[in-house]
Amino acid sequence: MNILEAKGLKKIYGEGENKVNALRGVDLEVKKGEFVAIVGTSGSGKSTLLHMLGGLDRPTEGEVIIEQKDISKLKDEEVTIFRRRKIGFIFQAFNLVPVLNVYENIVLPIELDGAKIDKDFVEEIINTLGLSGKKEALPNQLSGGQQQRVAIARALAFRPAIILADEPTGNLDSKTGQDVLSLLKVSAEKFSQTIVMITHNDEIAQLADRIIRIEDGCIVSKGEGR
Amino acid sequence: MMNDIVLYIGIAAAVLGVGSFLWSRISTKKTLDRVEELIDKAIDGDTFQESFSEERTSRLETKLTEYLRASGVSALNVKNERDKIKTLIADISHQTKTPIANLVLHSELLKESDLNPEQEECVDAVLRESDKLRFLIDALVKLSRLENGILSLNPAKESVSSIVTEVAAEMNSKADKKGLYIKTDLPDGDVSASLDRKWTAEALINIVDNAVKYTQTGGITLSVKDYEMFACITVKDTGIGIAEEDIPKIFGRFNRLESSRNEEGVGIGLYLAREIVKLEGGYMKVSSKLGEGSEFAVFLKK
Repeated sequence: MNILEAKGLKKIYGEGENKVNALRGVDLEVKKGEFVAIVGTSGSGKSTLLHMLGGLDRPTEGEVIIEQKDISKLKDEEVTIFRRRKIGFIFQAFNLVPVLNVYENIVLPIELDGAKIDKDFVEEIINTLGLSGKKEALPNQLSGGQQQRVAIARALAFRPAIILADEPTGNLDSKTGQDVLSLLKVSAEKFSQTIVMITHNDEIAQLADRIIRIEDGCIVSKGEGR
Repeated sequence: MMNDIVLYIGIAAAVLGVGSFLWSRISTKKTLDRVEELIDKAIDGDTFQESFSEERTSRLETKLTEYLRASGVSALNVKNERDKIKTLIADISHQTKTPIANLVLHSELLKESDLNPEQEECVDAVLRESDKLRFLIDALVKLSRLENGILSLNPAKESVSSIVTEVAAEMNSKADKKGLYIKTDLPDGDVSASLDRKWTAEALINIVDNAVKYTQTGGITLSVKDYEMFACITVKDTGIGIAEEDIPKIFGRFNRLESSRNEEGVGIGLYLAREIVKLEGGYMKVSSKLGEGSEFAVFLKK
């Protein structure tokens, strides 16, 4: 089953002489439980694509379908709610709330939605990510790797349909980055979580089940499942 | 007078309207609350039907209870199915051992008698294929036991370096026969991870065996790297390498690449290795270029 589909996605920024074709008709499908890497150099359109997929920006043309719902047709508030319930984000900057401790940061999206916290599940995630000793700590008391682990836990905790990760190890040294990616990989498998990750680094992309290559706003290779 | 009556009736109607609207909202909210409570209880695995009435929510409760009971029955059926598979696998594993052993024995006996070169070739082929069959059944039985959860791994904190040393020693003679080296590159101080000793060794042997198979000159280096949450074992060879488009295929079951057709093997080793590592809560990664050797990395959780 495809959990995510993009059909004929185009994005044009600016007008006239300044017109930039960031995406020139992208089609892609992601199956439930897949870990997909989108690889491209900077300026290839991969960030634009991720923003479209996550409902952070609207395509000029085309559809983004998540769990059978075309999010490019939703109203702004509806997109916001949909995003909060269905999409987890992991960014290069960890985006943790500085005044909340680790546990509070992790359950924040669930609380914002007024949903019930599945304590056992959250606890399991915290253990898997090696954060059980750090629940009370504030983000600034943690190393970069640990902060990114909290961000991963936060994305996993409300069981989103899909997690979108944008260069999740961009701010970490390569050793810590490898560690964080490994955790992302094993927790995706453990919790059958669908992940789409963008990166410019081939080495990092090797970890995914499938590698999609994007160049100049077009997909040049869709890869095969491993 | 008449106007007053109309006015009163009007006011009464308005009050009634607002009242019934509020009432319906309250009762809808009550129903939804009750349904939410039911579902929460069902998720927690509680039994919840305490009383029966003519209300629709009560009927819903009955239906939900029935549904949960039905799921319980199907869970039991699944268990029975699994028991059957278990028996079948045990039978296959046991009952094939003797015939294969006999096959090997008798072909070896045959080989000792006076044979012309043509006949000898045939006997060698029988021996080789018997050996392949033995390995295949062995691997499939292991796999099936792992996949069906019949055999569970018991990961515990163990030394990674000592397993790597062991595996290197075990595979040394095989590599030596081909004129290849096996080196280990271990960090100072011991690295430990959560692993099942026997099965991790099995996975590593499969990976190293594969590396030996596809390397003609040079050799294999096993190294250990230490991360905060993971320990990583890499097996690097100087072999033929794998093209990028073929990398997704190498872990496939019985999937062998065109380039490997003339090598011995059945195409199950890497798949088995990956399944084992996955069950230990780790994962495997490959990086390779055609003609430049391959590197298999096994990441194990600490």
